[in-house]
Parts: sequence; C-alpha cells; structure tokens
Amino acid sequence: MVQINFARKEINCKIVYYGPGLSGKTTSLEVVHQRTPQGHKGELTSISTDGDRTLFFDFMPLDLGTIAGMKVKFHLYTVPGQVYYNSTRKLVLLGADGIIFVADSTPGRMDDNQQSMDNLRENLTEMGRDLNKIPLVIQYNKRDLPNPLSVAELEAKLNPNKVPTFETSARTGEGVFQALKAISALVLEDINSSDKKGAMGVAARKPAAAPAAPAAARPAAHNVPAAASRGGEGVMPQKEPGSVLRPSGRPAMAPAASAPAAAVAARDPAPVAVRPRAREQVAVAEAPARPAAPVRQTMSQSRNALHQQVRQVQKQHARREEPADEAPAPAPVHPKSSGGGAKMAFFMILGILAGAAAAVAAVKFLFKF
Amino acid sequence: MTKDSDLRESRLVFYRNDLGKIDRVLQEFVRLSGSSSVLLVDKEGHMITRAGKMPSFDQDTISALVAGSFSATREMAHLLGEQEFSALYHQGERDNIQLSLIGDRTILTVIFDDSTTLGMVRLYVTETVRKLEDLFNDILKSQKDGTNPDIEELSDMTESAKDTLDALFDGN
Repeated sequence: MVQINFARKEINCKIVYYGPGLSGKTTSLEVVHQRTPQGHKGELTSISTDGDRTLFFDFMPLDLGTIAGMKVKFHLYTVPGQVYYNSTRKLVLLGADGIIFVADSTPGRMDDNQQSMDNLRENLTEMGRDLNKIPLVIQYNKRDLPNPLSVAELEAKLNPNKVPTFETSARTGEGVFQALKAISALVLEDINSSDKKGAMGVAARKPAAAPAAPAAARPAAHNVPAAASRGGEGVMPQKEPGSVLRPSGRPAMAPAASAPAAAVAARDPAPVAVRPRAREQVAVAEAPARPAAPVRQTMSQSRNALHQQVRQVQKQHARREEPADEAPAPAPVHPKSSGGGAKMAFFMILGILAGAAAAVAAVKFLFKF
Repeated sequence: MTKDSDLRESRLVFYRNDLGKIDRVLQEFVRLSGSSSVLLVDKEGHMITRAGKMPSFDQDTISALVAGSFSATREMAHLLGEQEFSALYHQGERDNIQLSLIGDRTILTVIFDDSTTLGMVRLYVTETVRKLEDLFNDILKSQKDGTNPDIEELSDMTESAKDTLDALFDGN
C-alpha cells in the first residue's frame, strides 16, 4: 500500500512485475536499472538461484522526482515466475500499488501466460483485492522473436478489461520504459483518487479537485504499437478510479516471541542477570535525591542508571579476563574503603590459625616417633 | 498489544507532528541501547523514518529486504501453527540486526555492533515497541476523528506528474 509521509514529503509506492517464468520480468527490471539516470535509482538487488532464476524477488528503488511538492519513490519488484513458487509470489504481491504483467510472446507459451494471469487474479482475490481495480499494464514481451504470438490473440486471452498494453523486447529494452511510465501515471492517478476518499481516516479531501487526468482513448489491442511511441499515449484511466481502500486480508500479528529470538536471548543472558540487582541499587541511590519526582521520571532515571550499571559490569567483565569465571559481580556492589581492610585482616588471621594448626600437627607427629 | 487493523487495511499516512513524536522515541532508544542506527519500516518495505548514525548502506534496499525477510518468516510461522514471529535476529561478525514487529504494519529495524549487546538492545526494544504501539494508536485515532492539527491535503499530482514522467522516461 502507498505510504504518504507528509513530514518527509515523500510518497512510497510498490510496483510488481508479474508473469510466467522466463517471460522477461527480471530482464525488464535490469533494463530499467541500466537506463535510469544516476541519482534516480538505487541498487538492483536479486535474490536468485545459482542458475539466475528469481528465487524470492528482484528489487530496485526508483526515485521519480518531486511531484506536486512530494518526492515520489517507487519500489520495483519482480516475482518468481515458476509455478511452484506461488507462496513467495504472494509475499511479493502483498501491498502492491501497481502491476506490470509481462507476457511471453513465444509461440506455445499462451497457456503459461494465461495460467499466470489467472494466478495473479486468484492471489489478489485471496488478499481481498480485485485485479480490475488495481493499476495494471501488460507488456507483450519478446516481440523481437521470429513469429511471435499475435497481439490480437494475446489481447483476446489476457486483456479482457482493455488495460494499456505495450509490445516490448526486454532484451533490447524496447518499450520497457513506456510500460513503466504508463503504470507510474496510473498509480499516481490512483493515489489522488484514493486520497479523496480519505485513506486511514485522513480527512485529506480536496473539495473540487478534478479526477485524474483524462488521458487519451484506450488503445485497442492492435493499437499497441502506439505504446512504443515516446509520448506514452498508452496511458489511460482505470475503469473505477475511485475505488480504493482494499482490505489486504493479512493475518494479525502473533504476540509470541520467536523461537530463534528466544534462543538468542538464552545465549546472551548477561544483562538479564544484572538487571534486578542494579535496579535495587538504583532505587536506593535515587530515592533520597529526588523524593518528589513523578514516578515516570524516576523510572526513566533509574533506567539510565541501570544502563550505566550494566555497561560498567560489562567493562569490568571484559577487563578481568584471568579468573573471570567465578564471582564477576561483587566488585561494583561493595564500597572500596573499609571492606577491603577487614577482608585482609580476616584472611591473615585465618592464615595464622591454619599455620599454627599445621605446626601443632607436625609436633604431634614427631613426638609419636 | 495493538491491533491496528484499520491501519493495516489502508495506506499509511504520517504527518509532521506524528513523525516528530516517533523520531523522539527512536532517538531515545538509540541513546539508551547504544545501537548504531534504527529504521522504522512498513511491511511493504518502505522506510518511514530513521534515527542514529547515517547508515552506509542503501536504506531503501535494506528496508525492502527487511520486509521480505519478515514476510518469509511469517510463512514459516504459519507452518508451525503460529500467526507470525514478532522478532527476528540476524547475527554478523561485526554488525547485527534485530527486527521487531510493531502492531500489524511496521517493523523496528535495529542495527548495532559490538559496542553494545543483544541483551541491552532487546531490553530497550521491548519498551520502545510498546511506546510506538501506543503512539500509532493515538495517531490513528487523531487522524480518524480529525483532531490531528497537522492534517494536510495531497495536491493533485496528475498534471505535474506528466512533466516529471516525460523527463525521466522519454528518450530512454
């Protein structure tokens, strides 16, 4: 879902390249990455297999620039196209604000295209969303192949709603930017129309704001080459620009802590062990100093003091490397002055007594013989 | 525990004042925990705000990967019969990342090195998560009932978008 950050003057959107395996989604994103001017793009990150097949997603941040005073940033993702990666595909699709469907024009791949489009619709439905209401454009990719599937056939099977379509070749880069431009326009238009509905209870309503730009007539299936023209006339408004707040249907969070986290906590017990004692000390030390302070303040003070205590203990721990195993804690607890002398005297007496006892035992032993 | 289901089902909107409050909580967290930096990321992988040292890595990419990582572990949680794992930890040789879910929509991403400890970070994360959950509830409430004084309107972007898109995409 779109994130609008008025404080940072930013709008963040998520665009997903969807389609069957090997249709050219990753290649399209690579083209976008190569050709986007520096300063408008971040790194292209791929989570892929050794064989360069997308395992989870490819990702690239794209900075569109400042539009109406807001910095617009798109996050571009590709999904893994292979049929058996549907669960990861769904994860990437979650919260998408716009979709570019990359269909493969290779003869014999029509079924794969259709299957993938059906899969997209199903996955969205499962998330409580409707493909007909999400900004969508279609790339008919691999048009540079000899004897590709006819555009009319692709249109008939994949584009019943007549969304904008583009004949592309990700290999050469032809048409890829036009498709991205079209989806960008549709998404921005969708944000504006959604905003009038007041997302998240925001009273951001523009009284007389005109609905999104009317754009040219929708391109017919065989009009698709128009998309290849630089002007982006292929952009057209979605059927229901007003419909917005789509429930995502995501599960609520579980309050339970994770197992790995718990394991890690067990591995790092030091602060937990130190905490109660330090807190007691702090309570004693702080109480007379600020008797009238509100509870909240006292707590935060004690937390700071606790923090310092913990750090101190850690430092002492680190320094005392030699017989560090036993009794690391007492050092900060006992005051240095009189306690040390008493201890010394006690040990000296003990030593003398032990010595005397040993001497007596030795004399007795000698007298025996 | 927050159940900001309203928030989950719609877009996230943050106004100046909201973010100021969130930033203060994060700055306090960084100071107390000794972390290098902290990022607040939504579940779609967009960064909301950050505090602490300016990280050397690409913040957009790390945000996207954090969200992806959380999504993947959610699936693992489902397989185990859990609804979600609320915390994740990635340990490195020098730098570590602790991720904690806040409510339904956001993830607290803490990056820390060996100048502090995981225990220390976790100690303050728990408290920070609670504070942020309360804050998000307040934000949501104030936006819903219109009492947020900072509510702004989004200008119509369609016209100005055209020029920007032309400049960026044409000629490529």
